[in-house]
Amino acid sequence: MANFRAPSVSLHLAPVKPYAWTFLTIVLVTLIGKLISSFFDIANVTLLYLLPVLMSAVRWGRGPSLFASFLGVLAFDFFFVPPVFSLAVSDIKYIFTFAVFLLVGLVTGTMATRIRDELEKTKQREKRTLALYALSEKIASKADLGEILATFARTVAEAVDGRVSILAGEGDHVVRELASYPASAGVGDEKQKAVVRWVLEHGQGAGRGTDILREASELIFPIKADKKTLAALCVNLDQEKRPLSMEKQQLIEAFANLAAVAIIRLRLAEEAEQVQRLAESEKLHKALLDSISHDLRTPLASITGAVTSLLAEGGSYDQEAKGILLDTIKEGAFRLNHFVANLLDMARLQSGSLKLRAEWHDIQDIVGVALREIHDVVEGHPVLVNIGPDLPLVKADFGLVEHVLINLLENAAKYAPGGSEIVVSARAAERMMLISVADRGPVIPVDEREHIFDKFHRVQRSKSISGSGLGLSICRGIVEAHGGMIWVDSPLERGNRFTFSLPLSMQGHEP
Amino acid sequence: MAEGARILVIDDDHQIRRMLRAALSGYGYSLGEAATGKEGLNEAALFHPDLVILDLGLPDLDGMEVISRLREWTQVPIIVLSVREGETDKINGLDAGADDYLTKPFSMGELLARIRVAIRHVARNEDEPVLTFPDLAVDLARRLVLLKGEELKLTPTEYEILKALALHAGRVVTHRQLLRVVWGPNFQEETHYLRVYIGQLRRKIEEDPARPRYILTEAGVGYRFTSGE
Repeated sequence: MANFRAPSVSLHLAPVKPYAWTFLTIVLVTLIGKLISSFFDIANVTLLYLLPVLMSAVRWGRGPSLFASFLGVLAFDFFFVPPVFSLAVSDIKYIFTFAVFLLVGLVTGTMATRIRDELEKTKQREKRTLALYALSEKIASKADLGEILATFARTVAEAVDGRVSILAGEGDHVVRELASYPASAGVGDEKQKAVVRWVLEHGQGAGRGTDILREASELIFPIKADKKTLAALCVNLDQEKRPLSMEKQQLIEAFANLAAVAIIRLRLAEEAEQVQRLAESEKLHKALLDSISHDLRTPLASITGAVTSLLAEGGSYDQEAKGILLDTIKEGAFRLNHFVANLLDMARLQSGSLKLRAEWHDIQDIVGVALREIHDVVEGHPVLVNIGPDLPLVKADFGLVEHVLINLLENAAKYAPGGSEIVVSARAAERMMLISVADRGPVIPVDEREHIFDKFHRVQRSKSISGSGLGLSICRGIVEAHGGMIWVDSPLERGNRFTFSLPLSMQGHEP
Repeated sequence: MAEGARILVIDDDHQIRRMLRAALSGYGYSLGEAATGKEGLNEAALFHPDLVILDLGLPDLDGMEVISRLREWTQVPIIVLSVREGETDKINGLDAGADDYLTKPFSMGELLARIRVAIRHVARNEDEPVLTFPDLAVDLARRLVLLKGEELKLTPTEYEILKALALHAGRVVTHRQLLRVVWGPNFQEETHYLRVYIGQLRRKIEEDPARPRYILTEAGVGYRFTSGE
């Protein structure tokens, strides 16, 4: 703020200083003229007096240059034109010299002043463009309305050296502060609120230095876009009596337009995002309901069917039929349990309450437990385990990684033709343990590979196989929570290979 | 001995109690029931059970408290029932003195196996010089391990782990219990020691270490030595 004070002080002295300097240069020129007048004709001295005129015209404008012209004529008359040291003129031809000198002084002064003004204006314009550019740069990097408004308020406050707040109307009588600089200048009193409401309603500037409500203590600009007033920009100058210069007002208006565009852009983006989010969440909800009703009802139906037949006709079934019915019940119950586990994992992943119980584990151990757990499901598929003896330990949550393996194994058993081989392997790569489950199922098309880890996504032609499309998205959630990645490829275009990575420790862990 | 043994079921779920009564009575056990922790503690004193099946999610008392109050006066074997997510509860229960655990939903086969092991463990207390399992024998007196009749070379640590597990065959041994027995009380948290040694041990005694026959992992809890049948 201090660097804004200094120029305002020099502005006060501005009218006096140029005249003093002009006076000094005239004195200097007179001295030089006196020195050379003994060698040259005094007509040449007249030309010398044009120098201060030009100089003050270029540096300070019309006033000082006129002053220089008149003072020059007087000095010339007094010091050089006979009778010397008197304003009287003995020869009439000097009157003509004075007239021409004055004319030349006026013309050159005016022209120089005009050039200077042009230059000044160009400089102003450049400064404004730079300021606008700086603001737009700052705003463009912000993705949040609050940040944009805060940046905007701060920029304006620094440009005018005052307090700035951005206010918006809410309902009929409430005025709310959206941003301010310095922090919370406050909404202000009833009078200010009235002015703000007027500005919001009419979309015109008001307050000090304008035609409307000029007795107000602050200056209020509308922030407009699409003919709608979005908010009001309230500028409060400290104690200062002088209203803002025209250039400053124009600068602030330009700032306000820029802010309006940024606000609109953000609002549109937000609206679009919200619409998309809504559509997506509806889609998710529907998919979730479909999936839950399907995945719960199918096993329930087989359990109910088997149990009711046993209850009704228990005596008449032979041993084999009874065995099949009982197996159906067991399998249905397993599927329900597995589905509930997946739903729980998903809920925990989504609520962000998934806490890893990460400890050092032997990957072979996790694979072993997963295989034991899913033994009945992968029955009919020979499972080959390919794990080297000297793999390092991984830091992982045993139960969750086991879930990942169970889901991958279950998928492999579900989609691959009966009797085909499933290969589970693990190897240590740089900083990562890579664990993969490969099957001989129909190859997932390349453009589907990205999406199969999305929630409820299922490969189109697999609709006939039951499943929620939850498993792989849960796998991804769990693996990412460990800092790893999961992907699928198809080596040699035979079957699918799902691979996930888990970070290895950096330091040794051998006891 | 198992025939006619008395089992007390402490579980607030009526259906589970009914199912257990029907299933276990079929195997000749006599059943007592309690729906709350307090009721369970009373029944334990009146019913004189040979084994307690305790659900950890009781409405009135914390399962852990039931275990420690029982342990104040009786060494009756306790099998804990819990849901999958309650791993910490299981471990705390085991460390507080429970003998084994089962995760709901469980199969009756598993439960019967646990019951048999828990009751037998109480009955059989004399020191056996040689622990024999199919294809595997641990000779405690001579510190020898025989796999299919051939002597195995084990490091002292590997031997201690195998011995601790085999002595409790059929029962879960928590990480903490195993660490305490093998390395002493100062190493109870160093579970990664165990992962490494169990891996080595498996490579020596298991045909397929990824599908272990003898040393099973109980996820998040510990290990269980099975007879390998």
